[in-house]
Amino acid sequence: MYELLKNLGTWLTSGASWSGSDGITHRLAEHLQYSLLATLIAAAIGLPIGLLIGHTGKGAFLAINLSSFGRALPTVGLVVLVFLAGGLSMLPVYVALVALAVPAIVTNTYAGMTAVDPDVRDAARGQGMRGHQVLFQVELPLALPLIMTGLRLALIQVVATATIAAYVSFGGLGRYVFDGLAQRDLVQVLGGAVLVAVVAVALDLLLSGLQRLLFRHRTA
Amino acid sequence: MNRRTVLGGLFAAASVPALSACASGVTSLDGSGSASGGGGSSKGGVTIGTANFTENQVLGYLYAAALKQAGVKVTVRPNLGTREIVIPALKSGDIDLLPEYQGALLNYLDPKATAAEEGAMQNALTLALPKGLQILPYGAAEDSDAFVVTRETAKKYGLTSLADLKKQNGKLVLGAAPEVKKRRVGAVGLKDVYGVDLKEFKSLDSDGPLVKGALKKGDVDVANLFTTDTDIEANDWVVLADPANLIPSQHIVPLIADRKADDTVRKALARLGNVLTTAQLTELNRLVDKDKKDPEEVADDYAKRHGLAE
Repeated sequence: MYELLKNLGTWLTSGASWSGSDGITHRLAEHLQYSLLATLIAAAIGLPIGLLIGHTGKGAFLAINLSSFGRALPTVGLVVLVFLAGGLSMLPVYVALVALAVPAIVTNTYAGMTAVDPDVRDAARGQGMRGHQVLFQVELPLALPLIMTGLRLALIQVVATATIAAYVSFGGLGRYVFDGLAQRDLVQVLGGAVLVAVVAVALDLLLSGLQRLLFRHRTA
Repeated sequence: MNRRTVLGGLFAAASVPALSACASGVTSLDGSGSASGGGGSSKGGVTIGTANFTENQVLGYLYAAALKQAGVKVTVRPNLGTREIVIPALKSGDIDLLPEYQGALLNYLDPKATAAEEGAMQNALTLALPKGLQILPYGAAEDSDAFVVTRETAKKYGLTSLADLKKQNGKLVLGAAPEVKKRRVGAVGLKDVYGVDLKEFKSLDSDGPLVKGALKKGDVDVANLFTTDTDIEANDWVVLADPANLIPSQHIVPLIADRKADDTVRKALARLGNVLTTAQLTELNRLVDKDKKDPEEVADDYAKRHGLAE
């Protein structure tokens, strides 16, 4: 065990493991690229849905259940399915990651919208605000903390799962996990796993810091 | 006929203690013998373990059928896992017998071994095995690595053997399991032995849906599959010849604990080894993988048809 940790330390600190196309710097950049792009696509899909069902109060049951379906799908199975249908590209990976991220975004956005005090909404309408004005000037700002939480959750899940890109021959930090397992190189597996965890925690801290900075004037 | 086999088995088993006492006396002269070294006995029954893939399970049940006919009590523990799990289980006595593959086992025991031809491999294996384990004579069937291209690719580039790949240096993409990138039977050996420079190596899976899907769709040009894969024939894919013997022989060989290796077991498995061919094994794999038949039924049925079971 001690030997393993020592080798892990050596692997993480040696310059050779950070440089080149198989180096940590490059793999980290790939991993972040996959994660951020997948989360952005998921946000582009999930946010409008969440806002719409929250604002109108219609279709919530269907939308929440449908998006939770995405959460229940086995990610690797989805990757293989899309791969067999469409061939070898990043598409299967993005489909799987987006399917994983959308539920967290939709449910949290919807939760944020329904948590808006009905009296506030009524008051806005009573002042003569139109539907979109109520949505963007009253409901959205009030729901923003929960929406941000949804995005944060989605991003963490995606970062932790983006390792599957390596399953279908692409890069990212999953390369170390899959190659290490296949080559019986435990140090590489452990190194990859540790790096993924560090990236996930770092991003979470960064986003929660940002969230606190943005909403520092709020009490709740 | 049956009764005679059973009686013969009992006799062989009963005569083993005397034999083993004698053998241990002899081997201890050179200091390498253990108290239990020498012969073994299958009298108390044999537990067969198998690795976690179809063919190995089928082989496990075939071993079971052959041993049952010889009057040995058999338990099969299928689907235990990879070599990292089953070999320790064999050493510790949880299982006694395992269907193995020459080259893959040798590579597990001694990654630096270079033997590739079946006879040399049998000797290398005997030398590399840890105390308490032995291999029996290898069977006719073989499940080795193969480098496969589609019929169209073979025609387009004029490929029939691995040596032809060199003509297309820098153009071809190889798809295989991640370990193949650094393995001798893979990118490294293709370069060293055949002078092949690949355009790219894609890490996919080991003879699974990913690598076969990629070959079918043209995402990879060359795929690393196994010779007993039924999809090779079904898709009319071309297995590239290996004139320089890069790919080690992978004849199926029983790996057994010394304590159970007696004459009855040895002969029953040798009889099976002589009968079972690569094509037949491929067909048995197909029955399980494609027709979703039970591996045990498939093996029993085969054993009956070939006079290996009553």
